[in-house]
Amino acid sequence: MRNIKIAAVSSITASLLIGAFAVADEPIRVGAATYGLQGEFMQLWSNSLQRHPAVESGQVEVTVFDGRYDALVQNNQFESMISRQYDAILFVPIDADACASAVAMAASAGIPVVGSNALCNTDQLAAYVGSDDVLAGEMLANSVLTQLDYQGNVVILEGPIGQTGQIDRGRGIDKVLSEYSEVNVLERRTANWSRAEAMALMENWLTSHRGQIQGVIAQNDEMAIGAIEAIIASGLSVNDFAIAGADGITDALTAVKEGHMESILQDADAQAQGGLDVALRLVKGESYQPLSPIWDEYSELEWNDGQSELYYVPWTPVTLDNVEQLLEKRAR
Amino acid sequence: MSQQVLAKDKGVEEPAKNSGISKRLSDFMVSYGIIIAFLFICAVLSVISPYFLSTNNLLNVLRQVSINGVLAIGMTFVILTRGIDLSVGSLMACSSIVAASFAAGSEASFILVPIMMGLVTGLTLGAVNGLLIARFAIPPFVMTLGMLSMARGLTYIYNDGMPISNLDATFRFIGQGVVLGMPVPVLLFLGVFLISWFTLRYTTFGRYVYAVGGNPQAAMVSGINVRRVTFTVYAISGLLCGLAGLMIAARTGAALPQAGVAYELDAIAAVVIGGTSLAGGRGRIVGTLFGVLIIGVLNNGLDLLGVSSFYQQVVKGGIIVLAVMLDRSRLSSS
Repeated sequence: MRNIKIAAVSSITASLLIGAFAVADEPIRVGAATYGLQGEFMQLWSNSLQRHPAVESGQVEVTVFDGRYDALVQNNQFESMISRQYDAILFVPIDADACASAVAMAASAGIPVVGSNALCNTDQLAAYVGSDDVLAGEMLANSVLTQLDYQGNVVILEGPIGQTGQIDRGRGIDKVLSEYSEVNVLERRTANWSRAEAMALMENWLTSHRGQIQGVIAQNDEMAIGAIEAIIASGLSVNDFAIAGADGITDALTAVKEGHMESILQDADAQAQGGLDVALRLVKGESYQPLSPIWDEYSELEWNDGQSELYYVPWTPVTLDNVEQLLEKRAR
Repeated sequence: MSQQVLAKDKGVEEPAKNSGISKRLSDFMVSYGIIIAFLFICAVLSVISPYFLSTNNLLNVLRQVSINGVLAIGMTFVILTRGIDLSVGSLMACSSIVAASFAAGSEASFILVPIMMGLVTGLTLGAVNGLLIARFAIPPFVMTLGMLSMARGLTYIYNDGMPISNLDATFRFIGQGVVLGMPVPVLLFLGVFLISWFTLRYTTFGRYVYAVGGNPQAAMVSGINVRRVTFTVYAISGLLCGLAGLMIAARTGAALPQAGVAYELDAIAAVVIGGTSLAGGRGRIVGTLFGVLIIGVLNNGLDLLGVSSFYQQVVKGGIIVLAVMLDRSRLSSS
């Protein structure tokens, strides 16, 4: 938060200076409209933007907006970004449908909008850099089912009903489950991405399905950890359960290290910095070469001169082999 | 003539008798209605779900309600003085993240440090509420609504919006430990309940709380320091938020800055279901205990039955309205 504020303040001072002296070489201004800064993932995403080489060298100024989990707030922020004539907008919408009008506004003002992390149902996005949530659902389900040898009873913890992440990850989970008739879904409920809610729910399920639950498919890591805490609180052994979550938050990495669960990492760095590179290519034109190291990290992710419409950042399964390395990277 | 007199006598007597019975009935309902309602819900749930009555499940329910329970007890003090505390969820989150910052990782301080820091954070913010409400006559609704936002903001500022996890095992004992077969959070909740029950029933301060809520002018005239009582109830609520903050961080093993959003609504719901009047001066801490238990048992029971959480929200809301309706009919009958 601190560096975001500094960025905001410095962008104001910089624009004042520019106004006063009409400096020719003014930095490119990019607005980053996030759905909200209250979760760990969006924090990592925002911090990662500030560490992009172009931002660190001062060529680009990024201002991060907190959408406060409200489509209307995001819409208003788009209006002010348009009136303040930002050069490009990075957009992480709260809702896949409500976002379309904001994108249309920016498009008609000639400001390119690059989607990141969460999709928007519109054809006016210049490009999208994110991870495929349907694929995440499939990987989650496969992770648990492999451990269970494709038979047994599982429970599913879902995100807030109706949210894009919940719908798409759920679709992926369903796709895998439909292929294995020997896997039985005992319960499927929302815990609203929340650790505390998932914990209470799991405690109650452990009572009503005593000794029957073998796997937990959680649509995010917070809920997977809630389930683990519930299992421990009920005096059972976590090792008797196959548990998987998604996102790769720090606590989940630690839990993987302890052998409690499996997770798949959603790379905030790649989504944020990749998105910014694509946006800068749109602003600066053909001469622009991507500056973020993420393009070298993923061989599957091709730069393609910034011309692709979809950049799918791969999910990285977190295993005992790479967890130490990921934790070290996070500590920095 | 004599018949007329008799009839008249009867006419005078009968309503008196009736009101005596209904008075006694309503007294009984005031004292035990909530307990009867609770036992009824338990009976129904134990018939439909074979798991409900197991010791294990009942301990789960108690563990799950203990955090809301602690908040609701603080809320009872506040509501008894005609006030409201909308900031409890934010105060709890703020206390939990401050406490956790002293209990995380290898640099964890001695267990008493995070505990004190959490309690002091809650107490301080609660005292700010109390001071501004009592001294500057800011309406409690406005003050605590402001504090809801301010404390939440401070929570995010404190650790840059990031969660604090990897908490010390000794600290986690507050949320996960078991003493004499009882989970520690449950013991904390019961402890808070007993102290509060005693305070409200047997101490001068307790009587002052009722007096201030019943009629502030009369209380002031009779020499009660209304400001001090008002200040103290918000400080108590804040302190209990601090305790709840310790409990939730220790229970989930992490302090999350977004924890406790809308917890004030569950706390207020428990107090209202427990029969405490939002108009102040009337209500019991025992009622709050059963209000908390009813919400907990319903959530747990509907989970056990596999009922969608959407229905749980409908049921909970319905029960709040029903509780107030019963309260009104009690008032008009007495």
